[in-house]
Amino acid sequence: MTEPTFDAIFDDLIDANEELQRFLAIIEALLPEASMLLVSEAGALLQGARPLALVSPVRERLVNEAKATEGFVAGKADNGARCHAVYLAKLPAVLIVACAIVQEEDGLPGSALATLLRNTVELALYRQEREMLVAEHEQSVRQINILQQQHGKLIEDNYRQYRLNQDREKEYARKLESEIAKQTAELREANARLEEISRLKSDFLANMSHELRTPMNAIIGFSELLSETPLAEEQLDYTRTIAQSAASLLSLINDILDLAKIEAGKLELERLPFDLAEVIGNVAAMFKIPAKEKGVAVTCQIDSRIPKRIMGDSNRLRQVLINLAGNAMKFTEQGGIDIKVDYEREAAGQIVSRFSVRDSGIGIPADRIEAIFEKFTQADGSTTRKYGGTGLGLAICLQLVELMGGRLTVESELGKGSVFYFVIPLEEAPAEIISLQERKEAGREKASSGGRILLVEDNAVNQRLASILITRQGYEVEVASDGAEALEHLRNQTFDLVLMDVQMPNMDGMEATRKIREIEADSALRRDYVGLRALKEPLGIIGLTAHARKEDETACYEAGMSGFLTKPIIKAKLALILNEMMPLVSCLADKDPS
Amino acid sequence: MPSAKEIQRKFTDLKTLPHVAIKVTQLVNDDRSTMQDFEEIIKLDPVLVTRLLRLVNSPYFGLSQKVESISKAVVFAGMKQLRNLVAVEALRGMFKGDDADFSAQKLWLHSATVAILSGMIAKRIFGKEGEDIFLAGIIHDIGLIVENQVVGEQLREACKAFREGKGTLPECERNAIGADHAEVGYLLAKDWGLPQEVLSSIKSHHLAKQVKSVSSTGSILQLAEFMSSKMQYWAIPGPLEALPPELTEHVKERVADYKIIIRDLPGEMAKAKELYESDE
Repeated sequence: MTEPTFDAIFDDLIDANEELQRFLAIIEALLPEASMLLVSEAGALLQGARPLALVSPVRERLVNEAKATEGFVAGKADNGARCHAVYLAKLPAVLIVACAIVQEEDGLPGSALATLLRNTVELALYRQEREMLVAEHEQSVRQINILQQQHGKLIEDNYRQYRLNQDREKEYARKLESEIAKQTAELREANARLEEISRLKSDFLANMSHELRTPMNAIIGFSELLSETPLAEEQLDYTRTIAQSAASLLSLINDILDLAKIEAGKLELERLPFDLAEVIGNVAAMFKIPAKEKGVAVTCQIDSRIPKRIMGDSNRLRQVLINLAGNAMKFTEQGGIDIKVDYEREAAGQIVSRFSVRDSGIGIPADRIEAIFEKFTQADGSTTRKYGGTGLGLAICLQLVELMGGRLTVESELGKGSVFYFVIPLEEAPAEIISLQERKEAGREKASSGGRILLVEDNAVNQRLASILITRQGYEVEVASDGAEALEHLRNQTFDLVLMDVQMPNMDGMEATRKIREIEADSALRRDYVGLRALKEPLGIIGLTAHARKEDETACYEAGMSGFLTKPIIKAKLALILNEMMPLVSCLADKDPS
Repeated sequence: MPSAKEIQRKFTDLKTLPHVAIKVTQLVNDDRSTMQDFEEIIKLDPVLVTRLLRLVNSPYFGLSQKVESISKAVVFAGMKQLRNLVAVEALRGMFKGDDADFSAQKLWLHSATVAILSGMIAKRIFGKEGEDIFLAGIIHDIGLIVENQVVGEQLREACKAFREGKGTLPECERNAIGADHAEVGYLLAKDWGLPQEVLSSIKSHHLAKQVKSVSSTGSILQLAEFMSSKMQYWAIPGPLEALPPELTEHVKERVADYKIIIRDLPGEMAKAKELYESDE
């Protein structure tokens, strides 16, 4: 398709000669004296404001001659005036001009006038072209304006979008915050629920341990008693097995209870003075017999820079060391076991010491070292079968050492042995404090035995067991099955000591103890009680409970008890406490040698 | 006879506008939309991404650095350019298929010419931003494509009647089909969610009597339609509708301007072809 032209498109609308007409107007304005005629390519005649009359032969001659030449062609108008014709290719058209002032000879080509005329025509042509250029310029200006507007809008848009993004970000941040707050609240609630569950669990365990200890009490006690009756060899063997099994079951129950207490955060360490050498010595002594049987040497050694008497929980320290030494013994077939306490450094008035238990046993594979501290895990399954044990011991030790401010660590080499160690700060005990332990020891010196004991216990089996144990210690025993009955007994009889179970139906041990203390404090009431009126000192009352927790012990003392004994009743412990608590005045029988 | 609405509905059952075209148009109309929103939509369509990058990297934008990220390109192109790019892409696919009586390809050429001329007139003579009117030009005859799809037989009848001088094209359509392409196209564009001015100019591009203002989108569209038909880029061959007197007057006043536009048109068309046409 050919390039479209304006004329082709708007031919119907616009007079084709309009442009010529405009040119005519321009040149007429430039030459106000002249009259002129414009002849279009198509032959149309356009007259100016001052018409020029030409007869057609003259006009046709002028047009044809002008088209053939570059310059002006001269002629004569109808009125006799001189006229000149020139072909304008740009329009295209022939312009014929008659000017009154033009002299005849001036019209010749090359004359000043001809040059002037030519320039005038050129000027008129440029004026028309200029129109186009102006239009083009205006179009460009408009387009530039649009671009500027668009640019402005773009910047505005960008700013608006920047603000939008900011708003969105803020909103997002707000949402995030509220979401976090919500989740935190949820977590807190879940945490509280878990804590409650954990508390319930430890309560349950405490209760369970009570329930388990009561029958254990009977099994241990009666098997002990049974072994002291005349028995055939086979029967004696069975009895011992029962006693050993019961003892290991009891220690398992204690372990589980300990662990539960630690996990519930309820285990608190005591801070009492004790003799470190004695504790270490006790531990070593415990393993003397099995060591002798196996042919393994047990040695212990304490750095001389460590004070003799230190503050702490001797029972828990002993428990840890027994556990470690027990493990060492279990896995060592030859060589030795060394228990050592080394001086590391002194810091803030405390002696940082390193406790270690070294054995020459089978060792622990490197990849199992972490696992042995887990509950119910040993180095491997086959070990469990060969060596027995529940795997609770190390888990407890780990936690206990942590409570003491240390970290239980192990270094081991397969086949060569292991060393378990922990570093804890020790504090020297002030000189004036004399421990309960030492008081107990002082009591033992009294070497007195015998007297009347009131046993208050609701469980018939326990009544029988305790009665037998007490009788064997050389004391007389009277039984009451609850607190109220105990008070009845005290009304009519005298006793040197009361063994009071804490948990009983009707009136429990705590209440009964408080009643007794009330009566003792009231001189009028005291007169009614045979068992209390003659006493110069408060009646000794020993609490008996299956709850071995510290708060249970504290509760007993708060109720007014003078001693505390955990069930199941161990013969040796009973002997010790009876010996200690029994008033010196009544020495009726010899002390039991055990 | 079916109504314009029925024809339009039948068509949209057959062919749906690309999701991206509708979504981008929505975003342009939404004050709260951001360039990121555009980017999210555009980047799903690799063809569009290519075109967009080609557009902003063309000499027309005269950027000193090559733009390679979509988000930057979106910012430079501007929302409306982007919308037009998407629209051209969406519509081109519909303008396919040729036969003796109806040539969709010729119609596309007509639409493109009208769009470019309208844009030039709007920008160069009236100093108006030309993006909306460009879109109006591209889409103004979509009604014919719809009718070709749904009532092809009747459309051919109408074309024949028009060629034989039995009335204007819309009149012949209404006789043969029951609706005209201006109405059908208007409904489709309305469904698409295009701006109100674009909608009304589509509806009125054959209504010579309704010239309100020479600079309105509708008037410019009519003028461009007239000019392109004169250049043989016509939609349907047949007698040419006369230009309304207001527009004739306007052209007479601005002869120099229109001469320049007509002179520059082939260059602008070549440029548009480079920007919008596919490489196929």
